[in-house]
Amino acid sequence: MFQLTGFTASFGSATALRRADLTIRQGDRLGIVGESGSGKTMLALCLMGMAPDAAQLDGRLEIDGHDMTHATETAWQHMRARRVAMIFQEPMAALNPLRRVGDTVMEPMIVHERLGRDQARQRALSLFEEVGIPDPVARLRQFPHELSGGQRQRVLIALALACNPDLLIADEPTTALDANVALRITDLLVRLATERGMALVFITHDLAAVARATQDIVVMYGGDMVERGTTAEVLADPAHPYTKGLLGARPDPTAQARDHNGKRRRLPTIPGTVPPLFSLPQGCRFAGRCPVEIPRCATNRPAPQDLGANRIAACHLLRGQRP
Amino acid sequence: MTAPLLDARNLSRHYRMPRTSLLRAPPVLTAVDNVSFTIRAGETLGIVGESGSGKSTLARMVMAFEQPDAGAIVFEGQNLHNLSASALRKLRQRFQMVFQDPFGSLDPRRRVGWSIAEPLRAIGVDADTNRRTVEALEQVGLHPRDANKYPHEFSGGQRQRIAIARAIVTRPALLVADEAVSALDVSVQAQILNLLMDLQDDLGLGILFISHDLAVVASICDQLLVMQNGKPVEAGPAAEVLRNPAHLYTQTLLKAAGVTA
Repeated sequence: MFQLTGFTASFGSATALRRADLTIRQGDRLGIVGESGSGKTMLALCLMGMAPDAAQLDGRLEIDGHDMTHATETAWQHMRARRVAMIFQEPMAALNPLRRVGDTVMEPMIVHERLGRDQARQRALSLFEEVGIPDPVARLRQFPHELSGGQRQRVLIALALACNPDLLIADEPTTALDANVALRITDLLVRLATERGMALVFITHDLAAVARATQDIVVMYGGDMVERGTTAEVLADPAHPYTKGLLGARPDPTAQARDHNGKRRRLPTIPGTVPPLFSLPQGCRFAGRCPVEIPRCATNRPAPQDLGANRIAACHLLRGQRP
Repeated sequence: MTAPLLDARNLSRHYRMPRTSLLRAPPVLTAVDNVSFTIRAGETLGIVGESGSGKSTLARMVMAFEQPDAGAIVFEGQNLHNLSASALRKLRQRFQMVFQDPFGSLDPRRRVGWSIAEPLRAIGVDADTNRRTVEALEQVGLHPRDANKYPHEFSGGQRQRIAIARAIVTRPALLVADEAVSALDVSVQAQILNLLMDLQDDLGLGILFISHDLAVVASICDQLLVMQNGKPVEAGPAAEVLRNPAHLYTQTLLKAAGVTA
């Protein structure tokens, strides 16, 4: 359905996304994991045809075989809502505070599918039921400030589903929410994707959420896709040093804070910080922070290597390889 | 056992909400309802809960930013809320706070050395502010040269180090960290957690560590207090609470924090 080949997005010398290859098929549930500055949101915006005007796009982005890399805004408007829709991070800011949420959810149906208001209201009502909003008839007439954070996120999901998209992109959908609300929203997204046969791209820095929601995972760092595979395998046995570091740095809720001598355990860390886009190393983006780095890492970009079973990682020092 | 550094007993805090009707009394929100805890030197107490559970209100009361409506906080043998303004001001150097947002908590127009030394000026230390600023910078893993830079020259993790340097420059006995690592990337979060542990070992700090993330709390805390709607729902040694959570709410938090579902 959606295919990226050697897709690059750059701003002058700053590369936000470097030669990304990605295929999204119907019904896929794909997690995109990375820290701030890893390029995950840029990837989402490109899939929506919403890359900033200043971005220079190279490579190829195809939807159903049509090249959309340099498609016009009009062409993208035909895609959005019906083919691909997005849930944005901040449920407080993504809704117009002056409009009733029902009107907001009905708008794409009226614009894109030329539905009448009554038809649109009917569909909005059934969407509210589908995403688990209690008392949907009353809720349609309410304003965003009358809803809790979790309810707003459900409204945004209903809005994204308004025109039955084939692909739903959720950019940090649970980050602003409390833990148990986040769990319910994650499970809701999975249920909707499964029931509708819709593809889901779940962007997050929360590894626990990704483990729960997705079948496949892409790990991004500094604009590169450094590792890809099934979620279970990548989390259980990460191949790339960055993935290993990220999983190691994540505190384990079942670990003891002190060892048997009463000494505090330190967490494994990744040294340094994520460098800004304009000063990323030319070779492997992780060079300079990587614990197993060799000289050519800083200068040569490691090519993504097939590790079998749909597993891909981009590192000069993968298993069994000698420098 | 020695006397605890901080002893908070039966704390309650109510807020009066805006009137909904002229005829009725304004509704009252109970932000903190009868919460007690102690913190010993060299120990970390973690307070976990969702937004609205009252954990930040607790932090503000411990920092004497606001008064409890009931209960008392005794810090190093002195009741925080019975002190005169000048005595409280003097005592403040013994308990300091690290805030959540490393971008909002530093003045962008001031060199970080100035910001770090600000608490020293506030308590009237004039003599070795420079030496103590440099010492604090080194304790948090930054370079003395960094004192001359501005906040925008630092990453989020480094800014949080600066905020910690500012908190320890007065040589406090207690550090209150309110969501101090929540805004940081995972790889940097671990560095800051380790730094807090190092400082605690070196300086014997007691830490009140507030977070909504149970995994983060588990990695650093000795004692745990789980809050929901202003009430303590579970408390005890962190290892025990996490191994055997009695309350359904703790179990949910644990589920949300686990990588394995």
